[in-house]
Amino acid sequence: MNAFEAILVFVVVAPGFVFALFALLWLLAWTPSERLLSWISGLTFSACVSGVATLVWKVASGSSITVSLGSWFAVGTYHFPLVLMVDRLSTPFLALAAVLSGLIGQFSATYLHRESGFLRFFLLLHLFAFGSLLAFAAGSFDLLAAGWELVGITSVLLIGFFHQRRAPVENGLYVFAVYRACDIGLLVGIFAMHHWAGTASFAGGLPILTGARAVIVCLLLLLAASGKAAQVPFSGWLPRAMEGPTPSSAVFYGAISIHAGAYLLLRAQPLLAQSRLASTLVILVGVTTAMHGTIVGRASADAKTSLAYATLTQVGIVFIEIGLGWRWLAVAHILGNATVRTMQYLRAPSMLHDYHQMHSAVGGQLSATGTQIEGMLPERVELWLYRWALDRGHLDTILERWVIAPLLEVSAYLSRHDRTRTSTTTVRPDRPVPVSVAGPAQRSD
Amino acid sequence: MSLPGWVLRTPVLTGASVAAPWIAAVAVIGYRRQARVVGCIAALLSAIASTVLVWKAPEGESLYETLMLLFSCVTFCAIVLLPRRDSETGTIAGILLLLGATLLAYSTGNLLVLLGAWILSIIPFLWADWFRSRKWRPMVGLLSSSFAIALAIGFMVVRTGVCSISDLKGQSPGGVVAFILLIVAAIFRKGIIPAQAWVADAAESGPLVPTALLLNGHFGALLVVKLIVPLFPETDHLFPVLSYLAVATAVFVAIRALRENSPRRLLAFLALSQSACILSGLESRTAEGITGALVHWVVVTVSTVSLFGILRLLEVRFGENLSASKYLGLAEHAPRLAVSFAILGLALVGLPGTLGFCSEDLLIQGTLTTHPLTGLLLPMATAMNAVSFFRLFSRLFLGKRRTGFTVMADALPRERCILAGIVLFVVLGGLFPNATVIEHSSEVDEDIRTFDNLNRGTGYFGQQSSMQRPTPKPKRDVRRATAQGETRSSANTGTAGRYLPSSLGRSQGGFLAGRTAPQPCHSKIGRCRT
Repeated sequence: MNAFEAILVFVVVAPGFVFALFALLWLLAWTPSERLLSWISGLTFSACVSGVATLVWKVASGSSITVSLGSWFAVGTYHFPLVLMVDRLSTPFLALAAVLSGLIGQFSATYLHRESGFLRFFLLLHLFAFGSLLAFAAGSFDLLAAGWELVGITSVLLIGFFHQRRAPVENGLYVFAVYRACDIGLLVGIFAMHHWAGTASFAGGLPILTGARAVIVCLLLLLAASGKAAQVPFSGWLPRAMEGPTPSSAVFYGAISIHAGAYLLLRAQPLLAQSRLASTLVILVGVTTAMHGTIVGRASADAKTSLAYATLTQVGIVFIEIGLGWRWLAVAHILGNATVRTMQYLRAPSMLHDYHQMHSAVGGQLSATGTQIEGMLPERVELWLYRWALDRGHLDTILERWVIAPLLEVSAYLSRHDRTRTSTTTVRPDRPVPVSVAGPAQRSD
Repeated sequence: MSLPGWVLRTPVLTGASVAAPWIAAVAVIGYRRQARVVGCIAALLSAIASTVLVWKAPEGESLYETLMLLFSCVTFCAIVLLPRRDSETGTIAGILLLLGATLLAYSTGNLLVLLGAWILSIIPFLWADWFRSRKWRPMVGLLSSSFAIALAIGFMVVRTGVCSISDLKGQSPGGVVAFILLIVAAIFRKGIIPAQAWVADAAESGPLVPTALLLNGHFGALLVVKLIVPLFPETDHLFPVLSYLAVATAVFVAIRALRENSPRRLLAFLALSQSACILSGLESRTAEGITGALVHWVVVTVSTVSLFGILRLLEVRFGENLSASKYLGLAEHAPRLAVSFAILGLALVGLPGTLGFCSEDLLIQGTLTTHPLTGLLLPMATAMNAVSFFRLFSRLFLGKRRTGFTVMADALPRERCILAGIVLFVVLGGLFPNATVIEHSSEVDEDIRTFDNLNRGTGYFGQQSSMQRPTPKPKRDVRRATAQGETRSSANTGTAGRYLPSSLGRSQGGFLAGRTAPQPCHSKIGRCRT
């Protein structure tokens, strides 16, 4: 392993190591101070950024870096390859992940000062950084899926960060359900690659698939990407995810997590290019999402939700670019969008203050920016569109009515059936319950 | 100082591992003091003896020894995790009886002894003042399974006059009748559809930790591994039915769990749904599926016993009638229990970085290879289970901080050590699966290829899967195994074959493949159909 390969491994592993170390120490009853935690976090991410800078310099000279660490596990001829790879596509994403995670870490040290979940936030931030760096540096779809899932679970846990309130917890559960449902596409897609191409590794080029097989794999990957990138019809989770702390919203839904879906499609882009059907579907999803995002965003009442829909609109356009095969335009678009949105998210809590400052500076109200495009529509259409936008395109309603409700209805039916039969056939009376939940708790020892 | 040679002999070690818990159970009942300490020592002795057995086991023949070690360790952890209120004489004695019976079932090669161990393991759950559930279904389920296996074994013994399992391999003793009875026994014991309801009832109205241990003995899967597959090679066409039922159970129970509000029942549903995947993986008969099933066996056992243990601790500390219908906010009071619960639960449903991720990956690969349509249901069931688990976690631990407690105990030091150890095992096992559970993978390719040479077929996906790439290279172990008439060899099952009877490792290459031209079988023991 040469120096560059070692740096690549270090960049990916370092945040994961910090997470594991502090989590284990905490589990054994040691809690680090805020200062120590932010200092170590800063040190870790500084090292990662330096490492990524070195890798960018190396890749810019025209060579990609591939590190094969053997197999995570192997059975028969199936093996889970541990291959890390940095090429021209992954370096921008790696840089984005390392720099923004570090920035968010430093920002949060002040923003979350004396917050009861300070340690939890930093642990999850490091786990997220590990997951995203792993996903972007993966040399195979298998490893990408591992990082992908870690990003998902940290995202969900951070949405429920303020867990004393009910809404963040319920929204976290909703997001988790959408993620898990869409991740089935990634898992099955990887399985299909293994069986049709013998590998899911893209370190030496994408798995060779043609015809219907390529279409099926692309559609499965599109399902996974749409879930992660909140594309229509899964867009409903994005405003719900705004319940998390602002720094995590910035890095997840302004920058990295929301663009992970686009990264997956960019990785599979040569495969997409083979299939007109899949490319067309990607464009369709992108167009629908962009339209949905821009219309709903105009009716959003709070700053973070407006920003979320603004991000969504741009990600929709990124999907269109990917579908059209404009790969590098999509990368540039992602970099610009991620950076600007992160900044906007971080400033969102101070938005009123910023406006007041601007008004003071210009000596009055800011001048109007011009006529809104929706004002050009007939009034009845405008009203209908407004109601449609207020309900966020009825997407949540449709999912709840046609997917969630029937599933829960079946579950409730089974539950009723189960309970009825059980309750009427109890062998003997219940034993006395020693203590009630309403009463004071007792120690077991 | 060296130990005398006889101490390290396999029968002595096996006897010690089985007898230690039973002797301890008698001692606990007689002495009636320090029950937890005695129980821990007995479980530890069993674990030590099992470790030596694993160490001494020949290459590729350590499945049952590994399971013995696993169950001993899990029982040790369960005894340590038991709250003081539960660690009374009767409970510890019952757990030790169950431990001894389970180890006996794992280790025996005799049909009648297996039957005895099977019945012994359920005795505490039939006794009114011991672990018996207040509902009728657990008793019916356990009794039905015992009745079915007793009939099956009786039928086999009467028909053949042989009690040794190894002597009966490949002979289909008792024919289809015995086979069906064994399947019925496995269905009832494992809680497979249509006999799934007793598991949740047992968890809800019985003692939590002993019930978790009963469920995680996985006697149903053991029956498949030990009897059904090796003894009945001619009933291959019936065997996939068990897989379909297992997948149906996984999905059915996962849907059922979505609206469940009793934490005990919900956890039981999750355990049942996830453990049903074990049967599906075993039936897939691919190296990936079988190895995945075995790793999943470990994950399910470790995770669910720990989850049940944590739930019991919560019940004891915060009230017995916990409900998932409202947010209880217990994380503020018990953050370490909350984190352990989250990690172990997410490991159960395949969180990356844990052993559960490896097992899920292998299971899905293996099952989809053989049954692509039904196999698709497994990731769906797992996804639903993940949502149900996260809902349970949210309801128990998140929400507004509850007040009104006089004492708010998080994990006590002994519980903290055990939980940290279990979490470490699950995480390190996930990070280094080859070194811990999926060991000796370097030999797999060669083993599989040799094995494939015996059993050939075309994959459902229209090309050769990992189990279907012929290499005509003969292997020494195969010759030895066939010469000795053994089936329990690593020669033809790869990693899975290191643990399993070789007949489990054969591939029929899916349903379409089953109809392709049969290949010559070089085995004397009916390892494949010709």
